[in-house]
Amino acid sequence: MNEVYVVTVGLAGLIAAILGGALPLASRVGAAVALTWLSCGAGIAAAVSVLSSGHVISLSTTAILPLTGVTLVLNPLGALFVISISVVALASTLYWLGYASHGLDTRSASSALPLFVTSMLLVPFAASVATFLVLWEMMALTSLVLVLTDQSRREAARSAAQWYAVMTHAGAAAILLALILLSAHSGGQTFADIEAHARHLSGAVRGTIFVLALLGFGSKAGAVPLHVWLPKAHAEAPGPASALMSGAMVNLGIYGIILVGNELLGGGPVWWWLLVSLLGVVSALYGALYAATSSDLKRLLAYSTTDNMGLVLIALGASGLFGAVGRPTTAAIAMVAALLLLINHSVFKGALFLAAGAVQAATGTRDLDRLGGLMRRMPVTGVVFFVGALSVAALPPFNGFVGEWLLFQGLLHGLPTSNTSVVISVAVAVAALALTGGLTVAAFVKATGIGFLGRARSIEAAEAHEAAITMRLGAAALATLCLVLGLVPMLVLPAIERAAASAGRVSATSATGGWISLHLLGLRGVLAPSLLAGGLAIAVLVVIVIRRLTHRRSHAWPAVNPVEPWGSGRKLQTARMQYTATSFAEPLQRVFDDVIRPSRDLDVSHFVESRYYIERIAYHTSNDDVLERHFYRPFIASVRWWGQRARRLQNGSVHRYLAFGFVALVIVLVVVA
Amino acid sequence: MNGATYSSFLEIAAGLVILCAFVTLWRRSLRAIVRTLAVQGMALGVVAIVLGVHRRDVVLIVVGCLVVLAKGLAIPTLVRRVLANEPMSRETSPLVNVPSSLVGAGALTFLAYGATRPVVALVSTSAGRLIPLGVATLLIGFFSMVVRRKAVSQIVGLLLVDNGIALVAFLATAGVPLLVELGASLDVLLVVVVLRVLAVQLWSKFAVLDLDQLQELHD
Repeated sequence: MNEVYVVTVGLAGLIAAILGGALPLASRVGAAVALTWLSCGAGIAAAVSVLSSGHVISLSTTAILPLTGVTLVLNPLGALFVISISVVALASTLYWLGYASHGLDTRSASSALPLFVTSMLLVPFAASVATFLVLWEMMALTSLVLVLTDQSRREAARSAAQWYAVMTHAGAAAILLALILLSAHSGGQTFADIEAHARHLSGAVRGTIFVLALLGFGSKAGAVPLHVWLPKAHAEAPGPASALMSGAMVNLGIYGIILVGNELLGGGPVWWWLLVSLLGVVSALYGALYAATSSDLKRLLAYSTTDNMGLVLIALGASGLFGAVGRPTTAAIAMVAALLLLINHSVFKGALFLAAGAVQAATGTRDLDRLGGLMRRMPVTGVVFFVGALSVAALPPFNGFVGEWLLFQGLLHGLPTSNTSVVISVAVAVAALALTGGLTVAAFVKATGIGFLGRARSIEAAEAHEAAITMRLGAAALATLCLVLGLVPMLVLPAIERAAASAGRVSATSATGGWISLHLLGLRGVLAPSLLAGGLAIAVLVVIVIRRLTHRRSHAWPAVNPVEPWGSGRKLQTARMQYTATSFAEPLQRVFDDVIRPSRDLDVSHFVESRYYIERIAYHTSNDDVLERHFYRPFIASVRWWGQRARRLQNGSVHRYLAFGFVALVIVLVVVA
Repeated sequence: MNGATYSSFLEIAAGLVILCAFVTLWRRSLRAIVRTLAVQGMALGVVAIVLGVHRRDVVLIVVGCLVVLAKGLAIPTLVRRVLANEPMSRETSPLVNVPSSLVGAGALTFLAYGATRPVVALVSTSAGRLIPLGVATLLIGFFSMVVRRKAVSQIVGLLLVDNGIALVAFLATAGVPLLVELGASLDVLLVVVVLRVLAVQLWSKFAVLDLDQLQELHD
């Protein structure tokens, strides 16, 4: 029975892709969505059966891939990822029904999107090197097609796709090398073979494999400094595709690191995990900082993805560190925290990207400085975004809070250990987490406040209409899930624990509890999210009631002048008097000037008649990625320079070309002889 | 055919192949070079026929006859047609002059002997000892493609390479399958046709048959 699910996942996705490419305009998106739902449903069914029974599903056939065949195995860890991907995919494809008319109903898009979902669903099933790589590449290629579908921003989309293609293939090359090294040293290409032999490899080989895998998968997860493609591609991809990329695809980067580091290699020395934590700390800070300072809505969300993946990497690294110094309980908690953070991120980032896609579809822009007042025009989308923002900011009663609480618990309780490097890195991680949390709040206060509150800053924003019903439903479903997971995280905790146990090979349950409160085993930590939420609600009610009372009393005062506050006595408030995204982030940008190094440009033009009168002042600031500017661009320039050099070899003389071949042949013969 | 006559016939024919390779480097007149090529093609066919007679292998004899027809007659005729525009054309200034080319060809022959020692040791028949000659023909052909300027010389160089490969194939194996030999010959015929078209185009564009003119096309 379970095998039927697996076959259904693949077949339904494949048929969806074919129908999406073949059917006429009227029916192609509907058919593709229906079959994608079937594929996701089968994926969830398979994952639930694995998680509830603990038995893995395995299936292998030699009929599909020549020479190697296909090996599919679903273990609890993979099952967890399948569920998280399916949930985002269900919501995003529902949303797609409404979004399709915004240029996402072409044959290529209708064919690529189901294929993208299916390949993502199948990656956690892959249990041999060849299967894994084929599915991984399919995922990369189909998402690349989706990045290119936005015809209204062709140039930007093309550049983003170029960055994405190069980075994802560089990453795939690193992964390929790592997996080939693994299978060459273990004499088999199924993961079971590799797992059995990998323990006996030398430390240097294992280290090389891990670092290669970390680089490859880290680039997929958007870890700094391999993140440059992410803010471009995730921002340029159309609504549902960006939700899928940011909510589901990045997860698989983390999955890859867990797969190679914990499952195939079976854990490693302290320095591996220090490296992971370091990547996490840098990514979290860098992502949060850029999220706080960028004024493009989707770019902000994309940087926030880097930030969140940083948190997950910190948790993952902490889990490895504690495992390496012999503290299994804390290691288990950190692993559970990593997976919980990942699942939460899928849900809220999916909701946020869907909401942002709706905003872009309604207004035609993503620039926060041209938005504003959307809460009134698009109430459902606004509320979804607001809920998502609260979740990202890790505020109760939403789901982001529980994950970060667990992470802090894991880190703080891990502190008393004898290994100095672990102590230092954990302390640094905690400090970085605190700063990251603050910056994230600033970023999302900006995104919500500037984008959805206040007055419209452009005609497009003022005339925005609420999104189609399916779009609202898809986004609202994820937002609801944010609240549910925030109130009753115990719904998913058993599944996560089983997955963490399968990943980290620890059998001890780390956190338990009834429906109300969450106890950490072996540590003193209790959290009752629903009580906390209830308390919060009561507190808010009390404040409102008190305010009402005092407000009424203030009416008793006789002479109140109804002038708008901060209006300098003016009666009229215009949209241009509000904070903009740029001005809101300006103080932050000033503080982190040395890191971001934004380029500022002040253009003052005078009247021709007199230089004492200014006609207009234009202030431009651009904070394009500092790593891109100072590392990637010089690197590209140097490659181009060498390319120009190499062109001199090619002067058009046939004799020279022949001579290259001849000399090479003679040299080979001389060496052989 | 007894052993001694067989091997002396074989040696003469194979020797003629390499000698023709040297002659193509020595002569300047393109007509003479093409004539030498025809002789080489026939010598190659004779090698196959002699081998076929010795091994009592009818197919190999048929292959040898086909080689005589194709490489001794058909291909040289095609190449000669390119020369119709410039009947008296000569390879006036090769990139490496004739005496140096000959010395170079000698060095390449040594290299061929050195490089094929393992193969010769493996085959250990009287035919196997001649394998270096085939490799040397190949290297000389390649060398002449590098140093000669005229389009016709390029075609001849390529044919030398092919003849060298064919010689090694005849000597090293117990007979090339008819199909393979036919396939290879057809390939070469096609290449010659393509190069002929190129040469004719070159003539109509630049009114010379000098490959250096192609450099003009470089961006």
